[in-house]
Formats: sequence, structure tokens, C-alpha cells
Amino acid sequence: MPPAIEAIGLVREFKGGVRAVDGVDLSVASGEVYGFLGPNGAGKSTTVRMLATLLRPSAGRALVAGYDVARDPAAVRRSIGVALQDAAIDNYMTGRELLRLQGTLHGLGRAEGRRRAEALLDRVGLVEAADRRVGTYSGGMRRRLDLALALVHEPVVMFLDEPTTGLDPLSRMTMWDEVRRLNREHGTTVFLTTQYLEEADQLAGRVGIIDDGRLVAEGTPRELKAQVGDPTLNVTLAAEDDAPAAAEVLATVGRLVPAPDGTVAARLPEGAAAVAGVVRRLDDAGVAVAGLELAEPSLDDVFVAKTGHRLEGDGPEEAELAAAEASAAPA
Amino acid sequence: MTVGAVTLPRGSAALAIRQTAALAWRSVLTTVRVPQSWFPALFFPLVLMAIFTGSFGQAPGRLPGFPPVRGFLDFAVSGAIFQGVLIGGVTAGAAFALDIEGGFFDRLVASPVSRAALLLGRLGGGVALGVLQALLFLAIAVIFGARVEGGAAGVLVVVLFAAILSVAVGGLGVCLALRTGSSEAVQGMFPLFFALLFFSSAFFPRETMSGWFRVVADWNPISHLVEGMRAQVISGVEARVTLVGLGIAVGLAALAVGASALLLRRRLREAA
Repeated sequence: MPPAIEAIGLVREFKGGVRAVDGVDLSVASGEVYGFLGPNGAGKSTTVRMLATLLRPSAGRALVAGYDVARDPAAVRRSIGVALQDAAIDNYMTGRELLRLQGTLHGLGRAEGRRRAEALLDRVGLVEAADRRVGTYSGGMRRRLDLALALVHEPVVMFLDEPTTGLDPLSRMTMWDEVRRLNREHGTTVFLTTQYLEEADQLAGRVGIIDDGRLVAEGTPRELKAQVGDPTLNVTLAAEDDAPAAAEVLATVGRLVPAPDGTVAARLPEGAAAVAGVVRRLDDAGVAVAGLELAEPSLDDVFVAKTGHRLEGDGPEEAELAAAEASAAPA
Repeated sequence: MTVGAVTLPRGSAALAIRQTAALAWRSVLTTVRVPQSWFPALFFPLVLMAIFTGSFGQAPGRLPGFPPVRGFLDFAVSGAIFQGVLIGGVTAGAAFALDIEGGFFDRLVASPVSRAALLLGRLGGGVALGVLQALLFLAIAVIFGARVEGGAAGVLVVVLFAAILSVAVGGLGVCLALRTGSSEAVQGMFPLFFALLFFSSAFFPRETMSGWFRVVADWNPISHLVEGMRAQVISGVEARVTLVGLGIAVGLAALAVGASALLLRRRLREAA
């Protein structure tokens, strides 16, 4: 089966030479959930907009569902569902009305459109609210309606641009369940962008990290974490005086790393397997241990390792890029 | 590879018409449900019509040069309808800009909606509202004692005017929306349109004007558009006036639709 999404050297340059996307290669298999992770302004949305036929690539090419986004955009549009960053939903229409409108726009017959609307309302848990105006919906309800709208025509590839940004934790988890179900029960390929490491970790089978318009790392969350390094063993001591003795023990199984007073830490190449031995030797050395914790590297660590900066808080870059995108739209 | 639940007939005209109707219905619903969207289009023209009728009720028959007319209301209603259409068109343009700002436009562009429906849906909704408004204004005028001399055919012509002008003004609004992508920029055109309206024969006859003002009103297309409608309401005006007005209306509508189609294409060229 050909990949659901394939991009080769994808570039998007805005006016003033800003390269929002700077040569991205992607290959997402059919049925995969792919997480596109990066800070604000990294080029996530611009990439999605190109894949969803909303922006013409400046260079490179992309195939979605087997169709070229530049040469056959109409075929791409029939195959994809798109839920973009700010849920663009009429506040003055009801959920049911919007779903039926979407059905008509996608060429469903009246009866079929009605049937799909009811099924989707049920699926995203909006039956009760179906006849209320969207203006009265909570943020989570809006996102779920947005998802339902994108599903009216049963697309084979779904693009979700930051599906849970700004949602409370409970709504976020509901949304995650919905995305998982979509993928599991319908085999829909999901391409989601996120700036939340946890979200990528939870949902995505494979993660691509984008920074400054370039893909800097790609792999399963486990592979990526493994690339960063070994898990860290943190030993909290009952008595601070034992620190040198404890450090001596840890140094035999791993590489010592700086730790706060009263704790000793080391990276263990053998991971959890080495922990039992460490405990025994600490005991033999007469070191009293108050706490023991083995910390796996997080995607956050991966991000820092690959980009040299943390994920949260890239303010100015974001504003600059938003301005570039806005000025580029009306050519 | 299966492509969704449906295979869309490519470029099917029937589908494009259904999409247009659905989008027109949406613009009517979202306008009607938001009082801020329709209130100005009803309130200002009606209040102005009432004020002028109260202030100049004696003008017909006494003011030299005033066209033969039963009462000032008969004279004023056409101007009110035009003003309503003008406000409605700006509102339609602003709503289109809001769709661009809010992302609804992107949602449409990323779906297989006919590109013509993107434009015609909004204009179609404007036509429906413009026609309703013209009928409402005529009804109010008749209740307060005006008479449509042209009869049923006259009403039909006035409604036709309102429909064509809704396309023209709505198309202009959409042009501004496509060009700026900002609803505020579209709303900002209001004062300009209003000035144009007052430098025309929308509220007072050209016959009572003088000097440069008269010259401006003579050349102002709005004069001829309103007079074209008015000829159907008041008596003693030749059909030629209506035909000239209709001709200008159709020309402006064609221009506005053409320009907005061009600007839409330009904006979509950025897309794939």
C-alpha cells in the first residue's frame, strides 16, 4: 500500500524570504497516527496547510492519499478531513445544522447527510447539545464538533492541527480517546500537530520533531527517547554524609550526573536491569536509602537534545511568522 | 484506495447548485439570527424615510421642480430600499471577511466545494435578504399611505432592482473582503457609501438641486438606480428611466461579480 502522506523536500517561503517550512521529507503509512511536534512558529501549521491544499508549496512535492496536492488538489480534498487550529464554527448555527451543511457541501444526499449527522453527533457525544447554538458550547464541545465536521465524508486521511490546544485536561483526554477510536475502528490515517509532548507520546505511533522549518528528528516515541540516552537513577539518601559512598557505588554501573544535595544520580546504560545490583551494593556499603527513582528520558529531553531549546515559550518567533503568513495570503 | 463514502461527480453543476443553495441558506440564517447584522439595514433607512417624509411632506406640489407625486413617502421609499440594500451589501461583505478571518473560508477551500459556490453562496443569501427587505419597505410605505403606481408589475420591477443591486453591492463587499481579509476594513467603507448616497437623488429630486451638487448627482450612478425604481412607484415617469437604471444595475452587478471572481481566483492561487 502506498503511503497515506508523502512529502519530498517540501518548502514554503513567505514574502520577505521567511522560510516557514524548509525542506521537509515525510512518509506516513496508511493507518498510522503521526505526531508533528514543535513549538509555535516551527512550521507545523504551514506544513499542514500545504498538505491540505490550502497553501501551494514553494518547492518540493507532496502526495496525500496518493494524489499530488499541487496537481490534483480536488482529489486530495475529497480524501481528507481537516480540523484546523481555531475551530472555525458559526456561533449562530446549531451543531446539527452545521453537520448537515457540511454533508451537503460534500455532496451527500439529504437522507444520507441526515443519517451521517445523527451518527456523528452520537459518536462525539453531542446529541443533547445538537440543537443548541454553537456559541453556547464549551471549548471541548467545539473541538469535538469540529472533529465531527471533518468526518462527515469519511475521509481516509485526517489532519488535526493542534486539536487540544487550550483545552482543559478532561476535554483533552476525551479528544484523545476520540482520535484513538477514529484510528482503531476506522483505520483512518491521522496527521496531528501538537506542541504538547504528552500528546505526541500518548497518541502518535511515530513522532516527527520540527524546529525552524526543518525536521530534526523522527521515530517512535521509544526510539527517540532511546536516542537521547539512558534512564537516570536518582537515589535520595537518608544521610547526606553518605553521598561520596553512594556515588562510588553508582559510578560502577553508570555515569554520574549532577544532582541536588542529599541525592546522587547516574545514567544507567542497562536501565532497570541494573537497579537491583545497585540496591544490593548500596546496602553492602552501609548506605541508608530514603528513596529510589528510575526516570526514563522524556520527549522533552529529546526535544532539548535535538533542538537545543525547550519546547514551551517561543514567543517572538511565533508573532513574526503569523505576520508573514497573514501578509502572504492575498498575494 | 477508497475515497470516503461518496464519489463526487467532478464539476457536477447540480451539486454546485446544491452547495450554493446550502451556503446561501447559511448566510441568511446567520444574518437573521444576529440582530446586529440586520437591524441597521432596517432601522436607518426606515428612520430616514420617516424623518424626510415628516419634514418635507409639503414639498411635492409646492416646491418648484418636484416631480409629480402623490406624497413624499411615495417618493422616498425607493431611496430607503436602496439604502437598505447598501447596508445589507456591506454586511454581507463583512460577513465574508469574517469567514476568512475565522477560518470557515479555509474549511470550505479544503473541502471539495465548487469554487463558484464559495462566492455565489454569499451573494445568493444577500439577494434573498435584499428581496425580503424591499418587499417589507414597500409594504410599510403602502400601509402609511403610499401607492405603487406600477401595480404588481411595478412591485416586481422594484424587487428585481433590489435583487440585482444586492448582487452588485454584495459583490463589491466581497471584493473588499477578499482584498483585505478584514471585516473592519469592509465596515470602514460605510461612510464612503453613505456620502455617495447623499450626493445622489436617493432622498431628494435632482430637479430641486443646483450648482456643482446637481452635477455630482447627475453623474452619480446611484441617482439613476434609485430613479429607475422610483419610476415604478410614482406616476408620470417614462419607462426609459427604469430601463436606464436596470442597465446600470446589471452592469455594476456584472462588474462586481467579475471582479470578485478574479480576486477569489487570485486568493486561491495561493492555495493549490
